[in-house]
Amino acid sequence: MARLTRRRSFGLGAGLLVSSALAAPTLAQRRGGDIVIAITQAPPSLDAHVTSAQAARNITLHMYETLFARDENARPVPELAEAVRISSDGLTYVFPLRRNVRFHNGVIMTAEDVVASIERYRRIGASANLLAAIDSVVASGLHEVTIKLKQVQSTFLDNLSSPRAPIAIYPAAEAAKPANQITFIGTGPYRFVEYLPDRHVRLARFDGYVPNTKAAGRDGFAGRKEAHLDTVTFRFMPELGARAAALEVGEVHLVEAVDGPTAQRFVGNPRFTIHRVMPFAMQVIKFNHALGVTGDVNFRLAVMSALDMEEIMAIAFPDIYQLDGSWIYPGSPYHTAQGTERYNKRDLAAARALLGRSGYRGERLTFIVDNIRPNIDTATVIQQRLRELGVNIDISVSDWPTVSRVGFTPQGWNFWCHGFGIEPFEGPASVMAPWVGGASMMRKDERIDALFAELNAAMEEQARAQIFTDFQRHMWENAIAIKAGNYGLFQVATARLRDFKPYRIPRMWGVMLDA
Amino acid sequence: MIRFLARRLAGSAVVFLLVSMLTFALIWLVPGDPTTVLLEASATPEQVERLRGALGLDKPLPLQMLDWYRRVLSGDLGRSILLNRSVTEALLERLPVTLSIAAIALSLAVLLGVAAGILAALFHNRWPDQLVMVVALFGLSVPDFWLGLLFILVFALGLGWFPTGGFSPIEQGALDWARSIALPALALALTQMGFVARMARASMLDVLSQDFVRTADAKGLSRRYIVLRHGLPNALVPVLTVIGIIAGALLGGTVVIEQVFSIPGVGRLVIGAILSRDFPVIQGGLLFLAAVYLVVNLIVDILYAAVDPRVRLE
Amino acid sequence: MSEAATTPLGAMWRRLRRNRSFVIGVALVSIIVAVAILAPLLAPHDPLRNNFRARLQPPSAMFWLGTDHFGRDILSRILHGARISLVIGASVVVVTGILGTAIGAIAGFFRALDEPIMRLMDAIMAFPAILLAMAIAAVMGASVTNVVLALSIATTPHTARIVRGSVLVVREMEYVEAARALGASELRVLFRHVLVNTTGPLIVRLTYVFAIAILAEAALSFIGVGPPPPAPSFGNIIANGRDFMIVAPWITIFPGLAIIAVVLGLNLLGDGLRDVLDPRTRI
Repeated sequence: MARLTRRRSFGLGAGLLVSSALAAPTLAQRRGGDIVIAITQAPPSLDAHVTSAQAARNITLHMYETLFARDENARPVPELAEAVRISSDGLTYVFPLRRNVRFHNGVIMTAEDVVASIERYRRIGASANLLAAIDSVVASGLHEVTIKLKQVQSTFLDNLSSPRAPIAIYPAAEAAKPANQITFIGTGPYRFVEYLPDRHVRLARFDGYVPNTKAAGRDGFAGRKEAHLDTVTFRFMPELGARAAALEVGEVHLVEAVDGPTAQRFVGNPRFTIHRVMPFAMQVIKFNHALGVTGDVNFRLAVMSALDMEEIMAIAFPDIYQLDGSWIYPGSPYHTAQGTERYNKRDLAAARALLGRSGYRGERLTFIVDNIRPNIDTATVIQQRLRELGVNIDISVSDWPTVSRVGFTPQGWNFWCHGFGIEPFEGPASVMAPWVGGASMMRKDERIDALFAELNAAMEEQARAQIFTDFQRHMWENAIAIKAGNYGLFQVATARLRDFKPYRIPRMWGVMLDA
Repeated sequence: MIRFLARRLAGSAVVFLLVSMLTFALIWLVPGDPTTVLLEASATPEQVERLRGALGLDKPLPLQMLDWYRRVLSGDLGRSILLNRSVTEALLERLPVTLSIAAIALSLAVLLGVAAGILAALFHNRWPDQLVMVVALFGLSVPDFWLGLLFILVFALGLGWFPTGGFSPIEQGALDWARSIALPALALALTQMGFVARMARASMLDVLSQDFVRTADAKGLSRRYIVLRHGLPNALVPVLTVIGIIAGALLGGTVVIEQVFSIPGVGRLVIGAILSRDFPVIQGGLLFLAAVYLVVNLIVDILYAAVDPRVRLE
Repeated sequence: MSEAATTPLGAMWRRLRRNRSFVIGVALVSIIVAVAILAPLLAPHDPLRNNFRARLQPPSAMFWLGTDHFGRDILSRILHGARISLVIGASVVVVTGILGTAIGAIAGFFRALDEPIMRLMDAIMAFPAILLAMAIAAVMGASVTNVVLALSIATTPHTARIVRGSVLVVREMEYVEAARALGASELRVLFRHVLVNTTGPLIVRLTYVFAIAILAEAALSFIGVGPPPPAPSFGNIIANGRDFMIVAPWITIFPGLAIIAVVLGLNLLGDGLRDVLDPRTRI
């Protein structure tokens, strides 16, 4: 069985069959190799269910797979499921499962494992509300799972395939364990080897992996995943300078993210390939509508009019930003300029007029931000700009746990900025969800809540597009929050890394490392 | 001597207890907990609460505190909330890293400092003395983390002689190991050397001016003999106290240097734990660092007492 | 021979004037303090003004020490940064001076309280100052006040120890016994003699505390628990430049040189004062 798999995974699109016994070792593409990737944060956990951190996804989506997953264009497609049959009333979903899918411990995946994993996610998943519409999940056969919903949800498959805090399929025995206490066993093309906290996570190729033969090739998080490398090591290197230096001397082969000035150094150097991943996230400035003058729409509109988005983006994300007022990425069918007329007005006079009409009386306002440099820079630029308006802002830099804690209460902050990366990728429902129930701005907005409910019920794409445009217009007209622009990442790799295509995570399937 | 030892040990134990209570007080006041690291910005408060329950963080603090003391007394420092291993394991993994850097920095600082100080004393008021004093003074005035950054700029990025960061375990090659700790240890040592050099010089000058030296001199014994046999041992005694002080400065310095050089040591572990509110690790780490400091000072005090009987009667 | 020359204070002053360390130290520190006070006049640019088209420029005619990634002038930031660092240092000195003296005096006078107080001081000294400051910043946010608080806590135990030591010495002194025998009020006698005896070592210690505070503040800012943006404290400037070390090393180098200048001046000052005021610990 193993030999069969190996020969199959040698096929690379154009049928490049290289058997290690036949070909002499040359500089040509070969199987094997150990790659080291420098990532910016250590994962808070490798239990995919309980964390929505990017750092965790980078690693867990190599080890685990989901029932449905997003393709290269962020559309949900079957991954561990063969297909889906939806009943005419939209309430029953039947998923026949792929057979012969093995876990890393050699055991074949069955419906029991899927059911156990989904139930675990419903209990303790980081985004458990994604599955809130589920009424029941049962194994309706050895390789078939049936899910019944409480009400129709147009976005159910989107939710099921959300990569944010993925609904990874674990063996039933692991799914019985509490949060963070599992042994890391999945069905993915790489298996867990070791985790040295504060240093690295190492994965090795899972030779028993059965790629999805229905797919033609690499396709987002789904598709045919062919692992050619022997091991993948994710090294945690929060310091930008350290990552760049490690790449330069060959200690690492790929860096997850560097900024513009650093990437500049590698331009023109034949030893390296620079990948510009654009857009990767949106920079958003949130207002606290429940505290002081930031609850006053005229004040918020004044701030919005005053800001120079180019100044913000050019300083915080040099060389890797785009000015765009739409609340979803260009390239999405929902992307539109409608409703974004107020974006990047840079009009201090208008701002002063609006400020005059607001209730602002010179009081000091608090801008909370975590200690990631672009966020601090964004806050600093805004602080200086608003100083010209006569608005006084104190910046409070704390680490992420403190900031998140404060930011989800109505006290202690007026402004907060950070990026939204995966939500715009996932689609309009994910973009709108954080603003439902006032979760991000501390005061319910009836219009947004209504629009979200409509979106969930609307089955037609046309109708959904209209709803999203209305949402976008509402965000700008009322300055619910401010979007500064889109930003991206520079991913720099050694030129020896072949066929690498950046995505939401640095995918290590379908790539090869030259000798 | 035994009584002295017993008294010092008892004193250290009390201090240790106070340290543990202080760390608990700090943690009690710190807002936020590990759930906020597991979830990203747009998580809802319900999701947070659910996870806190799942991780057992919702018990009242006094109960958590009593639990902790009970376990520590049976040798268990608890389990890291985020790292999925026991605190003791996490500390022990990093111990060799931090210790090697701190020990080497300490040794360098002491050896070079003493050598420089004695040299200065022997050439009192001549140019070696001036030179040593000036260099020592500069050493005291340079921030150690900045020196580390400068070293990276010049010797790692510029000349490529050393790696820009990270730690290479000794099992993977002695040369790589040495190269990975050279710059951090050197940055730390150079800034502490000044203290040692000045103390050694003063102490040596003091000894050289004493009667027994002049008597030996008069007897015709060679200068070198006098220095080595009589001067040196006496001069070194006050240097012991400096070692105690430096040990504390080095522990603090190591914490920052580990950040500069991305070295996975105990300091970085504790900083990471503070940033992610991993309470057991914060407790265990701070206690550990405090323990090291207390042990070093205890050893210094014992050595000092062994050499200078007057101290024992204090 | 004038009158002034024969008073103890006058003699002390003459000795100080002749001490090379003291003179150079005073000169250096005075220049730095003057520059810091005059920073708004001396700085060629607004240290807070962003100019994103002039980002990461090397030293030039317009920007003598180059610009950072906001396009802000490094020279102007360093000049204003001197103010922040000096204010923090001075504040720490004042707080430590008051707290340390109070605690040390109490420990020295009241034998019953001596042991527990000194144990508490030992416990505090066992914490690396950096971690203490980080924890405090996590609790109460990063700010000038909290840096001063953290550093004061870290430096007070040693100061208290010095004061206590002086107090203990005085208690044993013979002339205190004699004065008491003569009937002078015990408290007043002790007080006067303690004051005389302690002031010297205390001044020396506080000068060094100033130096330590400058160095420590830079380290704390570097880690991220110092004064919040856009404050140009030395440590903040260095921290901001860290990500750009490869392309703009001037952002890292110059503030470091500034720190060295300030701390060197203070160390020289401290050495000079110690030679004259506290010759027992002379090195």
